[in-house]
Amino acid sequence: MASQQPLTTRSPLIIPCSYLTTEGNKTGSWRFLRPQYEEKTSPCSSACPSGEDIARIQMLTAQGSFKEAWETILMENPFPGVCGRVCYHPCELQCNRREFDETIAIHTIERFLADTASRYELKFGLDKLPEKKQKVAVIGSGPSGLAAAYFLALLGYQSDVFEALPEPGGVLRWGIPHYRLPPNILNEEVSRLQDFGVRIHCSKPVSRKFLKEAKNNYDAIFLGCGHSQSLPLSIPGEDLPGVKNGLDFLKKIRRGDIPALRGTVAVIGGGNTAIDAARSAVRLGSKVILVYRRRQQDMPAFAEEVEMALEEGIEIRELETPVEIESQKKDLVVTLQKMRVAQEDPQGRARIKPEGKKRKKIRVQHLLIAVGSSAAEDWYDLPGKKRGVIKLNNCVLVHRSREPALVYGGDLTASIKSVVHAVASGKEAAMALDVLFREGPGTIESTLKACLVGIGPSLSMEIYLGGPRVKRSHSIVSYDNLNTDYFRFAPAISQPRLLREERLQSFAEINLKIGASLAIRESERCFNCGICNQCDNCQLFCPEIAVIRDQNPQGRHINYEYCKGCGLCVVECPRNAMALEEERS
Amino acid sequence: MQLDNLEREYMCPGHVGCPGCGAAIAMRFVLKALGEKTIMIIPACCWSIIAGPYPQSTLKIPVLHTAFETGGAVASGVRAAEDIKGDSETTVVTWAGDGGTFDIGFQALSGAVERNENFIYFCYDNEAYMNTGVQRSSSTPYGAWTTTTPGQQWKRLRKKNIVEALVAHRIAYAATASIAFPEDLIRKVTKAKSITGARFIHIFSSCPTGWGMPSEMSIKIARMAVQTNIFPLYEVEEGIRYTINFTPKGYLVNEYFRLQGRFKHLNEKDLAHIQEMVDEDWNLLLRKAGSRPEIS
Repeated sequence: MASQQPLTTRSPLIIPCSYLTTEGNKTGSWRFLRPQYEEKTSPCSSACPSGEDIARIQMLTAQGSFKEAWETILMENPFPGVCGRVCYHPCELQCNRREFDETIAIHTIERFLADTASRYELKFGLDKLPEKKQKVAVIGSGPSGLAAAYFLALLGYQSDVFEALPEPGGVLRWGIPHYRLPPNILNEEVSRLQDFGVRIHCSKPVSRKFLKEAKNNYDAIFLGCGHSQSLPLSIPGEDLPGVKNGLDFLKKIRRGDIPALRGTVAVIGGGNTAIDAARSAVRLGSKVILVYRRRQQDMPAFAEEVEMALEEGIEIRELETPVEIESQKKDLVVTLQKMRVAQEDPQGRARIKPEGKKRKKIRVQHLLIAVGSSAAEDWYDLPGKKRGVIKLNNCVLVHRSREPALVYGGDLTASIKSVVHAVASGKEAAMALDVLFREGPGTIESTLKACLVGIGPSLSMEIYLGGPRVKRSHSIVSYDNLNTDYFRFAPAISQPRLLREERLQSFAEINLKIGASLAIRESERCFNCGICNQCDNCQLFCPEIAVIRDQNPQGRHINYEYCKGCGLCVVECPRNAMALEEERS
Repeated sequence: MQLDNLEREYMCPGHVGCPGCGAAIAMRFVLKALGEKTIMIIPACCWSIIAGPYPQSTLKIPVLHTAFETGGAVASGVRAAEDIKGDSETTVVTWAGDGGTFDIGFQALSGAVERNENFIYFCYDNEAYMNTGVQRSSSTPYGAWTTTTPGQQWKRLRKKNIVEALVAHRIAYAATASIAFPEDLIRKVTKAKSITGARFIHIFSSCPTGWGMPSEMSIKIARMAVQTNIFPLYEVEEGIRYTINFTPKGYLVNEYFRLQGRFKHLNEKDLAHIQEMVDEDWNLLLRKAGSRPEIS
C-alpha cells in the first residue's frame, strides 16, 4: 500500500454523512415521568436554630469563596465568630455524613470564615431595606437583643439598644470565659453591628417606668434582658463568707478582677455556668469538685464542655446534693445528701430522690453556686394567655392598641438557653415586628410559617426577604436520598487545641485557628445535601442529550421536547437536588 | 468531572433508543473521545435502529450500516480505502452489540485482529440480542432469563470472556469499560485512538428493557457490576501487560442480582455459586495482572 500514490492529499470522507438529523422526532412525547431541578433542605440547616444555609456555606467555602460564605452566615446570624466558638452545634448531630464516616466540622468552618473575614477586614455587602418610620427599643445587649437590633436594621428599622452594664454583649461578655470566647472577637462582632447602624447605649439600666414612657418614642420594645439573677440553693449556711455565686464569679474574672483561689473549690450545679465556673477555678490554681444532683449524662451543660472539664482534672460527684454548709475555722464543711435515680423521664433524664439518710461531708475552702438563674426583675416575667399575646417559637409578642408592642425574647422565652437560640429569638422578633408594622397582627403566624427552614422551627431571613432560598423545597434530605457512590471516605479534621498543661496556666483560647487549605478540605467533604453544586452529572449521563447548559442560575435546563423521562439524572444526582414526578397532562 | 473533550457532542436528540438506554450513553461518551474525524461501521444491533431510519441519522459522523457478521471485515475494507486515499487522520471504528461480536461477527473480528488491521472495535455489551427481543447470546451471563432461556430453563452456562479471547490474538490494545465510569471510559478510548493496530474496547451497557429493571437504575447497575467484580475494569497492552483500573470495595453480588428482573428466579444457593465464579474469575485476573492490582 505504501508504494501506491495517494489519489489526493486531502481526501474528503469517503462515506457521506446523513443530512437529516433525528431532531424531528420529539421523543418527549414518550415521557410519563418528569425529572426536574428541585433544591431541597439539608438536615443541618433545619437543625440550626438560626437556620443558617449550611450546605451552601460549605459549598462556597469548598470553592474558596470565603467572603460569600461568610455573608451567607450573616444573612441568618450576626455572630459567626461567636457561634463558631461557643455554639453547641446541633447541626452536626443531624449531618448525613455521620452515617457515611464522620460528621462535618461545621462549627470549625464557621469560625474559620469569621477569622478570615476579620483577618482581611472584609466588609459585608448585605443591603438594608428602605428606611421605615417605626422605631424599636431593645432592652439588653446580649445575643438576642443585638440580633433583634441587627435584623431590624436589615429590615429598615431604627432601634436603640439599652445595656445596664458599661460594655455591650450580655452573657457573651460576662458569662463566657475568655478561653472559649476571647473578648476581641466579641468586640469585633459588636462593632460590625454598630457600623451597620445598631445604636448601643451602655450603662443605661431600664426601669419599669421606662416602659411607660417608651410609647412617646418607640413603636415596639424588645425585652432581651436574659437571666442574670442566680437562683439560691435555699439551704442553711448559704450566706457564709466563701460561698459565692457562679455568675458573679465569672463576671469578676472577665472584668479582670481575678480572685485568688487557694485550696479546694466546690461548684454546685450541672449547667454551662457551673462548668465554666469550675474550669475557670482550675485555671486560678485550685482543685475543683463539681457536685451535681443528677447523673453526668443528665447535665444540661454541653457534653463537649463536660469532657474538657474532666480532661482538665475536675472531679465530678454525681447524684449528690448539698443540704448544709458550715464554717469550721477557715474552711467550709458541706454536707452532701446521696441521691438515687427514681425513674427516667421520656427524654431519658433522671428523676431523682434522696437515698435514705446517706450523707457525706466534704471540706472545701470555697463554694460556688451555679444551679440556674432567672430574670432579674419581676416585670420581665412573661404574660399569661390573654388577648393580644402571640406565642412564637422563641419569643412572645404582645400587641396593644395605642401602646408599643412588647416582645419577650432571649433566655426569657427560649426553649433551650443557648447563644444560637437567643439569635433565633432576636431574628424571629424582628420578622414578627416587621409583619406587625406592615400588615397588623393577624398575619404574623402565617407569614413566619412560610419562612421555616424545612419543617422548622428555625426561620430563615433569606426566605423572608424572598432571596433564592425561597425556591428550596421544605422536604429534608435524608441519607438514603443521596447517591453516596460519588463520595469517598475521608476522616474529619481534628480541631487543633492547646495541650492540657498549656490550658491550665492561663485563660488563653483553647481551640486554635485552622488554615484555608484545611478548611477547604473539610468543606469539600460536605455532601451539600439538597443543593446543586454544578457537578454536571445530570448533563453527563443523559442518554437523550436533553440537558442543556444555559445562563440561568441553575446553569442548565431540561429540554422536555426530547426528555423521555428515564430518570437517570435524578438517580445520578449525588445530592438529591432533582426530583422525578409523574407527568400531569 | 474535568475532561476537556467532554464538551463535544456528536449525537443529536430524538434518537429512538429506549428510555435509560446504556448503549446510547456509551455512544455519547465514545464519540466525545473520538471526535468528528471518525467513520463508524454498525453491523446489525440495537444501534442499527437507534441511529434512525434513512435519511435520518442521530450521529454527526459518517456511518455504514452493514450485515450482522461483517463488523471486522467492513472495517478492514474501509481502513484500506482510507489508506489508499492517504487519509491517516480518520479513525475507523466498528460499533457492534454483543451478538455481532461474541457470536455472529466473531470470525470477521478474529480475522481482522489476527491481521492486525488498524481500527478500533467497540462492543457495547447488553448481554443478549435485545433488538430482536431478548434472545440469549454467548455474552448472556450465568443465571439470566431471556426469551430463549425462559422460566426454569435459565442460562446455566458462563458468559464468554471476549477480552481474553482477543488478548489471545496478542491484540495491540484491549480494555473493558463501563458507562458508569465515564472518565475511565473516555481515557481508554483516547488511548486506543493513539495506538496503531487492532484495538478492542468492551463496554458494559445496561439495558433496562431486556434486564427488567427501572430505567433510572441503568448507571447504578453498571456501577454495581464493577463494584462487585462481575465486570472488572482493566486494560491489556500487546496482549501481555495487564492493568486493573478499579479496585473493588468487596461488595457481594447479591444486591446486583436483586435489582434485576432477569435474575429474580435465582435462590441463595445459585447466588452463592455465582459469587464463587465471580471470585474465581477475579483471582484469575489478579494473577494475570501480577497479583498487584494498580489503583487508578
